Amino acid sequence: MRPNICILRTDGTNCDPETANAFLKAGGNPELVHINQLRSGTRRLRSYQILAIPGGFSYGDDVASGKILAIELISFLHDELQEFVDAGKLVIGICNGFQVLVQSGLLPLNTIRIRYATLEINDSGKFECRWIKLITEKGSPCVFTRGYDSEITLPVAHGEGSFLVNTRWPEIGENKNCVALRYSEGGQPADFYPANPNGSLYSIAGVCDPSGRIFGLMPHPERFVEFSQFDNWRRESIAKPHGLQMFENAVNFAVDL
Amino acid sequence: MIQVVRVGTKIGTDVRGQSCFTEIRNLGIRSIIDVKTARVYRLEGIEPDDASELAENLFADQLTQSFTVNYPLIKNAARLIEVAYKPGVMNPEAASIMKAAHNLGIDLDAVDSSTEYGFFGTPPDEDIQFICDRLLVVSKTVERIVIEPPTSLIISGKRGPITIIPIRRMSDEELMGLSKKREWHLDLEEMQILQAHAREIGRDLTDGEGETYAQTWSEHCSHKTFRARLIVNGVEKKPLIARIKGTVEKFGEGVLSAFDDNAGVIDFFAGQGLCGKVETHNSPCALEPYGGAMTGTGGVLRDIFGDGQGAKPIASTDIFCFAPPDLDPEKLPAGCLSPHYLLRRVVAGVRDYGNRMGVPTNNGSVHFHEDFRAKPTVIVGAYGIIPVDKCQKGKPRPGDRIVVIGGRTGRDGIHGATFSSGEMTDQTAQVNASAVQIGNAIEEKRAGDAILRCRDEGLIRAITDCGAGGFSSAIGEMGSETGVHVTLERAPTKYPGMSPDEIWISESQERMILAAAEKDVPRVLEICCSLNVEATALGVFTNTGRLVVMYENETLCDLSMDFLHHGLPQRVLNANWVRPEFEEPGIPVPSDWRETCRQILSHLNVCSKEPIVRMYDHSVQGTNALAPFSGVDHDGPNDAVVLTPILGKNYGVIISHGLNPILNLIDPYWGSVWAAIEALANFVAVGGDPREARLIDNFIWPYPDEQELGALDRSVDACVDVAEAFRIPYISGKDSLSSTYRGKDGTVIKIPPVLCISVFGKIRDVRKTISADFKEKGSAIMQVGLRKPEMAGSVYYDLHGIVGNNLPKINLKETVKTFKKLHRLIARGAILSCHDISEGGLFTTLAEMCFGGGMGASLELGYAREEKERIDFRLFNETAGGFLVEVRDMDVFEIQSSGIPAEEIGRTIASEVISVHNRGHVFRADLDELKEAWQKPMKEVFH
Repeated sequence: MRPNICILRTDGTNCDPETANAFLKAGGNPELVHINQLRSGTRRLRSYQILAIPGGFSYGDDVASGKILAIELISFLHDELQEFVDAGKLVIGICNGFQVLVQSGLLPLNTIRIRYATLEINDSGKFECRWIKLITEKGSPCVFTRGYDSEITLPVAHGEGSFLVNTRWPEIGENKNCVALRYSEGGQPADFYPANPNGSLYSIAGVCDPSGRIFGLMPHPERFVEFSQFDNWRRESIAKPHGLQMFENAVNFAVDL
Repeated sequence: MIQVVRVGTKIGTDVRGQSCFTEIRNLGIRSIIDVKTARVYRLEGIEPDDASELAENLFADQLTQSFTVNYPLIKNAARLIEVAYKPGVMNPEAASIMKAAHNLGIDLDAVDSSTEYGFFGTPPDEDIQFICDRLLVVSKTVERIVIEPPTSLIISGKRGPITIIPIRRMSDEELMGLSKKREWHLDLEEMQILQAHAREIGRDLTDGEGETYAQTWSEHCSHKTFRARLIVNGVEKKPLIARIKGTVEKFGEGVLSAFDDNAGVIDFFAGQGLCGKVETHNSPCALEPYGGAMTGTGGVLRDIFGDGQGAKPIASTDIFCFAPPDLDPEKLPAGCLSPHYLLRRVVAGVRDYGNRMGVPTNNGSVHFHEDFRAKPTVIVGAYGIIPVDKCQKGKPRPGDRIVVIGGRTGRDGIHGATFSSGEMTDQTAQVNASAVQIGNAIEEKRAGDAILRCRDEGLIRAITDCGAGGFSSAIGEMGSETGVHVTLERAPTKYPGMSPDEIWISESQERMILAAAEKDVPRVLEICCSLNVEATALGVFTNTGRLVVMYENETLCDLSMDFLHHGLPQRVLNANWVRPEFEEPGIPVPSDWRETCRQILSHLNVCSKEPIVRMYDHSVQGTNALAPFSGVDHDGPNDAVVLTPILGKNYGVIISHGLNPILNLIDPYWGSVWAAIEALANFVAVGGDPREARLIDNFIWPYPDEQELGALDRSVDACVDVAEAFRIPYISGKDSLSSTYRGKDGTVIKIPPVLCISVFGKIRDVRKTISADFKEKGSAIMQVGLRKPEMAGSVYYDLHGIVGNNLPKINLKETVKTFKKLHRLIARGAILSCHDISEGGLFTTLAEMCFGGGMGASLELGYAREEKERIDFRLFNETAGGFLVEVRDMDVFEIQSSGIPAEEIGRTIASEVISVHNRGHVFRADLDELKEAWQKPMKEVFH
């Protein structure tokens, strides 16, 4: 059976069609769901196995990126969301969706309303749209990044992606294996611009909760599920578009939910 | 009671403060040693406890920020300056804050947000004033320095009455006074026609009626010059617009809509059509570049949403012309903004609007010439996809409803249409402050989502955007063949107190007008509501042939549609172009070749524009099959963008453009041929079939006196000649004929005339497109296309301070043949990489291919050429329509014998140098130093 994926959208969401396309290509059954449909009860989160919060500028990034949607999720939809997470279902937030998950407290430690991290304005002070390289963290419980053995490449496109953590991060975050993806160069974590495009601490590009089922990342895997989406497909041969595996991992995991 | 929450940085960098400090240093101010900032939220209708709760849960980041309630946050600053939106300007953040507060169980009466800057050090007043003017109040029309904190955020007001203009008894002088006072920009003849009409119908006009005529008859809306009868050197020629439209009549195959809708539409694959529209937004950007660029982008995207029965935007493009950013301030005319500031702010506006819309901005260019200090040229294009069966508008039927959807109407943007039709003067900045506004991309994004839903459910009979002229133009046009009855008081306004004529002509952004059958209106409103979009039925289409606008039972307008749309007689204009003479002295062959090469590559019209492109989200929608840059370090530029608008399919659309304002100064005919050929060469270089290319023209001209009109006549002839040679049509176009500056002291500055040709077209399989970066070491490099040492207008001449007369005269017949052949070679995979030759010449093309490929090249120019040819002219000539291609050895012979001009001129090599030989060593330059020179200028502007 194809798992159902709720691609959550609201005012200013704009990466929803390509995110749906990526899940479709991975064998899932994505549906674009407006948050008003969840609020009015015409759609229920429990009907889905995966919740995906796509990129964009939810509510115009007003106050702080992802903030207004995060508040909507953890106030109005708190119980439904908690139930969804407790049921062991999957959550992915990409770019603005990652910001929403961090603002809500779901990432990095699955503590709704309690924050251990934040995503700040890029060190360059600018929006950055470019291709960068990433390595996955060995031993990470992350469901989405399974099977990525070598360095991969994905595009980033954001102005506020600098991952900043609470001073207690080394003891809580790293110990709980929250890091899933790091910006890299030559297979090693990169702490310099533009390989690390935003100045994230410890080159962190993506994190998961200790269960590995809630995952957020700044790069856009949904923009590299077709060969032609890669800017250098004419000069580098690629066995499989690098973003696709993340969606396949999610779909394969969710089939059993 | 207002509660004030201030939020500042606790941990980490105060990025806003630091970037402000950097800019202050850039301005040369040394009296300030640090800048700290705080966000200020004013909350009306709640108690301090609630304010604390909102501060903690909504405004401040738990980790990195601290806050205060009703207490200062930045301490010990020498000066505190607060920058806020002016009262009445819609703060886009307000609605989000109200919503989030409500979600947290706190209901606000009103809210506003602003920014506080604390300056540390010992700044004198004049430094603070200078900083306020240059850095803090970025858009004077919408922002202000808060002197006295507001006592209430709720705006009240009482509307003005509908007034009668006694036009029937006015003298000619009074008529012109009226036109001027109301900023109608109508000339005496037009005012007299209006007066005669008033006398004929036996009554004076209301202010609303006068405004409706002025908007509809403005050059901006009615394109009087392009429709005029044109007498060129005493002989009448076809009107300009008729010549351009003639190309569709002849070569209209696959064209679904041209020149009669918001955008042109051509056939695509899978039952879809492609739309294209390119607009200019010069006047607003000259005044307020950030807001102007935003509303320009928003406006052209609305043209896509408003095309046919609604289309989805898939790309936007931006092409700018400015004076050099380091222009001597002495040369800046009074009332004009510095080009450095204009460039940065225009880019920021396009960035912030396009990125928020989720539309990739992936094709564009920036051109520089000192005379653009008179007025910048800001061209914004948008492309879309639409089901073929929805690409024609229906005709509104009597009884259909007029529905406005999207943003509310405010006092912003009044008189944009008439203002854009006027010249720039030193007074423009002060007088027309209300004509510019800020955009709210999120409003437009959700309205666009609603439109596409309504379209898919078949609820839209016709649709158009509210652009210049606001309701008056949009509704007036849509009901021109039926008649309309508008109940204007139903229009949602941003605040009370707007007078009826203000509501009628306001150009507030993000509004669309649609015609829907009465039975479909409830569903339209339901869809809009479900997506948080406001929608209101404003009136009804009638069969009276009259434009009737009522406001609370008072008549604002009661006009004959026929007179409104056909009352203006065709103009008769004289054109007479006199060829200017430029000096063209001989120049020496370079003694220091490497230095010359670096100068060429760092010339503003050649250098890399990558820092701009990186700030635009060009990969959103996941459709890029050829990005603006590619190659080993992702920094080699490509000639065009290739998109796959239907995800998962290899059907492609190619978008490119070309322009050369400098050549138009010498001879607008050959300059315009160059622009069109350059645009087509870019299209062909990536793999496009020239037979599939469709054209869009944009003329941005100085005020059309006889000379400039003559230039325009030549330019239009060139456009048509190129289209005829390729047997392809124009499907859309626009003109903006007001780029002349007139100073009080008699200074007159004209911009170099701009013709921008945009090209778009389909390709069945994007896997048959190629990029410009060199792929393999040891390949042959071939030059394709005719080239002659015609150097006028080139960057090389510009380095010597010369314009010249001997400009490139492109052989159209040969070019058509070359393009078709090259396309076939690319389609069958014979070409590894291809890059067209344009500004900076063959050398620049080669260097860019090397940068992308991360490899060098060795040229031997002596193979097939006569010795007397100047090697500098060979390397730096800019004739459009030529290419460098990379091919494997086995394909060289075939290309050489294919009947088009093609010769092998060198090879790609492993070492990262470019070495040039001409039967002997000429020079050798390291790629590193060349690339540094090429990237430096824009890095410096966008540090």
